[in-house]
Amino acid sequence: MLEISHIDIYYGELQALWDISLTIGEGEIVTLVGSNGAGKSTIMKAISGLLKPKSGSINYDGICLDRLPAHRIVELGISMVPEGRRLFTQMSVLENLEVGASRKTTKEVKHNTIGWIYQLFPILMERAGQRAGTLSGGEQQMLTIGRALMSQPKLLLLDEISLGLSPLMVQEISRVIRDINKSMGLTIFLVEQDVYMALSMAERGYVMENGRIQYQGDAKALLASEQIKKAYLGIGPTEKRAK
Amino acid sequence: MGIVIQAAAYGIVVGAVYGLIALGLSLLTGVMKFLNIAHGSLVILGGYISFWLFKLWGIDTYLSIPLVIIAMFLVGLVLYKLALSPLLKLPNIGMRIDTSMLITFGLVYILDNAMTILWTPNARSVVTSYTGESLGFLGAKFSVTGLLGLGVAILTAVALYFLLSRTYFGKHVRAISQDAEAASLCGINVHRTYLISCGIAIALAGVAGVIIISCYSITPNSGLSWLLISFVVMVLAGEGNIKAILPAGFIMGLLESVSALAVGAPYREVVALIMFILVLMFRPQGLFTKRG
Repeated sequence: MLEISHIDIYYGELQALWDISLTIGEGEIVTLVGSNGAGKSTIMKAISGLLKPKSGSINYDGICLDRLPAHRIVELGISMVPEGRRLFTQMSVLENLEVGASRKTTKEVKHNTIGWIYQLFPILMERAGQRAGTLSGGEQQMLTIGRALMSQPKLLLLDEISLGLSPLMVQEISRVIRDINKSMGLTIFLVEQDVYMALSMAERGYVMENGRIQYQGDAKALLASEQIKKAYLGIGPTEKRAK
Repeated sequence: MGIVIQAAAYGIVVGAVYGLIALGLSLLTGVMKFLNIAHGSLVILGGYISFWLFKLWGIDTYLSIPLVIIAMFLVGLVLYKLALSPLLKLPNIGMRIDTSMLITFGLVYILDNAMTILWTPNARSVVTSYTGESLGFLGAKFSVTGLLGLGVAILTAVALYFLLSRTYFGKHVRAISQDAEAASLCGINVHRTYLISCGIAIALAGVAGVIIISCYSITPNSGLSWLLISFVVMVLAGEGNIKAILPAGFIMGLLESVSALAVGAPYREVVALIMFILVLMFRPQGLFTKRG
């Protein structure tokens, strides 16, 4: 569905990504994990059109995304939940959702979509008239996901959705996301610092370090591998622990 | 007492014009982060277009407003395409504000001199059948042109408010003014929204120009003095507070006309600028904004 091949990305003179390749298949949950500053969000920005790769290409269902502006990429069916939520805090919850459906075809069915999102996150219906800035952190995260779903995407990019949320809230949100993936076949690409949560949700995973992809493979296998445990989960080799 | 009411009658019309100019200005600064120094010159250009429509085809000033709006909207589109859209490539918003100031400052000279060539440096005004007529109210005389201008300004401001609060376009504009990048991730075509907002802002300047030429007179370089006080009105209303701009304009207009009575007309702008400094010192968020 989405294929990134050999992209390099620069911020001005500074190279942030080296030769990144990854694929996301239809209906999959794929995750990209790594420490702060590894370049995870940079990949997200490249897919959603906020940054343009200097070399390499990004293909989505046979369409090259490299030269398209961000709003065209949304029209093609890729929607992103940006890091740090980025809600329109001065606007109401309902207005935030409405702005999410900017495409003509999604605008026509927006009432149905809003109804569906209220089912996923009932609290948003209660808060519909409230300004988005007055919501709690978890509610804001739900609203950002709802806003991203308003464009009826085929591929949903989630950037650091666990950041600053209570473990209970993270559980609740990841349950909803898994549900959407199962019931509607929505493809999910999840970028996370919370390695355990991400790898246990996903089917496949990529691990990034310093702008390069270091490991990739089955999520369960990655979760079980010694390097990942040691570097990200704070668990030493099992033999040592046994002693 | 009569003389104060008379001054107020004058001030409220002037204030309406300030309000209209400030509406366009704050649309440009709020949404696109462009500071348009040429806005005053564009107001005057709108006045001259109305002047020509009257002189050449005998179209009444207030009836010429739709035509002026269309013409100035197109001017706004050209302005955006030629001068302002290249600034969007600048890496940060601070640079965008600075550079737009420099560019539009240059534009002031181009526009003012072009208008001098086209319409001579003489003061121009439009004299219609109802110019000079007035209605008595509370012992003061309200000129018909002033009342019409006031009505047009209020209608225009209300229309803009509804456009921004009720329509999809308005929601896009507000979303972009808060976070342009997040807006583009929602599928909003940011450049097209900028383009149309710029057209609307310049069309508002045109409407202000029509009121000015019908109530007062214009010269090619009178734009900057209108602009200066409109900037104060914009700050008075507070950032992004569209609802408060016309009322802030009225306050400024009344303050100006009453202070002209108290300390003399030459000090009008001094009073406006003292007001500006006081607002910045004590209520930098604006008079009508609650949150800091």
